[in-house]
Amino acid sequence: MLRVRSPQDLGAGAVFILIGLVGLYMGWDLTYGSARNMGPGFFPIWLSWLIIAMGVVCLFRAVTLDGPPVQALNYRVVFFVFAGALLFGYLIEHIGLFFALILMTLVATQARKDTKIKEVAILSVVMAFLAVIVFVYVLKQSMPAWWGR
Amino acid sequence: MEINVISNLMTGFVAAGTLQNLGFAMLGCLIGTLIGVLPGIGPIPALAMLLPITFGLEPLSSLIMMAGIYYGAQYGGSTTSILINMPGESSSVVTCLDGYQMAQKGRAGAALAVAALGSFFAGTVGTIFIAGFGPPLASFAQQFNSPDYFALMVLGLVTAVILAQGSVLKAVTIILVGLLFGLVGTDVNSGATRYTFGISALWDGIDFLPLVIGMFGIVEVIRNLEMDTLDRKPISTNLRDMWPTREEWRAAAPAALRGTALGSLLGILPGGGAVLSAFAAYTLEKKVAKDPSRFGKGAIEGVAGPEAANNAGAQTSFIPLLTLGLPSNPIMAIMMGAMMIQGIQPGAAVMTSNPDLFWGLVASMWIGNLMLVILNLPLIGMWVKLLQVPYRLLYPAILMFCVIGVYSSNSEPSQILLMVFFSAFGYLLMRFGCEPAPMVLGFILGPLMEENLRRSLVLSRGDPMIFLQRPISATLLALTAFVVLLIALPGFKKAREEAFRE
Repeated sequence: MLRVRSPQDLGAGAVFILIGLVGLYMGWDLTYGSARNMGPGFFPIWLSWLIIAMGVVCLFRAVTLDGPPVQALNYRVVFFVFAGALLFGYLIEHIGLFFALILMTLVATQARKDTKIKEVAILSVVMAFLAVIVFVYVLKQSMPAWWGR
Repeated sequence: MEINVISNLMTGFVAAGTLQNLGFAMLGCLIGTLIGVLPGIGPIPALAMLLPITFGLEPLSSLIMMAGIYYGAQYGGSTTSILINMPGESSSVVTCLDGYQMAQKGRAGAALAVAALGSFFAGTVGTIFIAGFGPPLASFAQQFNSPDYFALMVLGLVTAVILAQGSVLKAVTIILVGLLFGLVGTDVNSGATRYTFGISALWDGIDFLPLVIGMFGIVEVIRNLEMDTLDRKPISTNLRDMWPTREEWRAAAPAALRGTALGSLLGILPGGGAVLSAFAAYTLEKKVAKDPSRFGKGAIEGVAGPEAANNAGAQTSFIPLLTLGLPSNPIMAIMMGAMMIQGIQPGAAVMTSNPDLFWGLVASMWIGNLMLVILNLPLIGMWVKLLQVPYRLLYPAILMFCVIGVYSSNSEPSQILLMVFFSAFGYLLMRFGCEPAPMVLGFILGPLMEENLRRSLVLSRGDPMIFLQRPISATLLALTAFVVLLIALPGFKKAREEAFRE
């Protein structure tokens, strides 16, 4: 009876094997060529096989060696940080840097339960303002500052 | 030869000494220190976050600023190690051991002064090292052919594995994954698009910035936010007795010398750099000490040696990048990315085709080190104040830097998506006990390795024995085999685990 003794190795092995399989699957149609004349598929196919092999070793270790448990994912933090960043990416073309940054900060700071909304509101406005000055006016990077293009 | 070094360095000081470049060196050191003293942000995320700021500058200015940020961040990391026992990055982990103990005994000032002066001395020696060894190494590098480059990359990647935290197996695989990610995009030889999933944004390959900022900047923020309490304990050390006592000098000076020598040598090695140097120097100090039991309880040699070594190693690890065009550690991979974004292909050719850039960068290293001492000794009180800024006010600013940096690289919202993808990936890897830093190295080296492998096999008509027939590549591969053997030996494995636990 197989028992998982090292959950971290199990996870890592699974991720590696998945990457290797995607590498093989997507690389299958590329010309492999030969050692003498390597095609675009040669190196990636080899890499993918190697990654799969390493992944299998990881899985093997997962059932033979004892290891630390996987720390639970913190969905709240991950969700709000990613949501803030994605919102920024989506909105910047439409509402400009200043407002996109404020919105991103308001969303991302929800990652913590102890966030003080008043403090964050003031902070985000001040920092977004500074960011616009620094990036748009001093560093002259091309992005809409106050509203869309 | 000596005259050449001097005249070359003069060229460099002229190029780096313009008001504009001095300004950028200063700015880089300041911002780097500023970021470095913020706990949890080491040189890698600092460089990743700040890389976009340097885009608009001239190549030399931008590299000078990046180098300044690097030293600054590393230096700031030592300050936090000593004052609050929080290393910003792995090369100052060892500084915590004795530095923090010194601080607890009220000798924080002395520890900081020794770290600053030791680093400056090491930086000076490191600069001379680069000036002296750069040109001969570069001309030696001209004898390098594809098989030799390939073998050197294999050696570098294998050595990098030893320095990654956690399991060797996972570090190796992470590098392989990095190599594979590096191949995404249009293949220069055949024009075939690889692994683009039909997304046009990937045709030119995965962009460097979303990858590094996602995997290091954002993941770092997430990791800090996960902690129960965000704010740190207040600092309870006094900084009045800044100057080390005479006994402290006597103990620290030889340690700094040994650290400098060791760091300069280890920095050049493929896979070497600041981290390896610091760990090795600490071990050395413990070995040569009359009374090793003092270590871990506030021995000043335990600060002076590793601090000098990590700075010397940080300098000389530029040598493989500047002469061979190969980054020896993840930080140099980011520097290489910065150079390529500026349209410079690092390698021996830079020295001849663009001497101002090469020597200017070398000279700026010394200037940067000088500035760090000037900035740090008097301004230490200010950095200490900065340490007290609560993280809850800092991370929104860090996030802003990250998203603006990624977006500004080519004004494509899809880059943000890519950044989020890589943060998720990096976060997951951390949870599974994989250190993601080696991946950058693989990512940068992927296309280079493929190209050199291809050329080697064309040369030999498909015979892999070519790697063993050429003396340079055979030597490098023999070294690689030796390193692999070392890793496999149980005794070494134990020593490595101990080193990381400390």
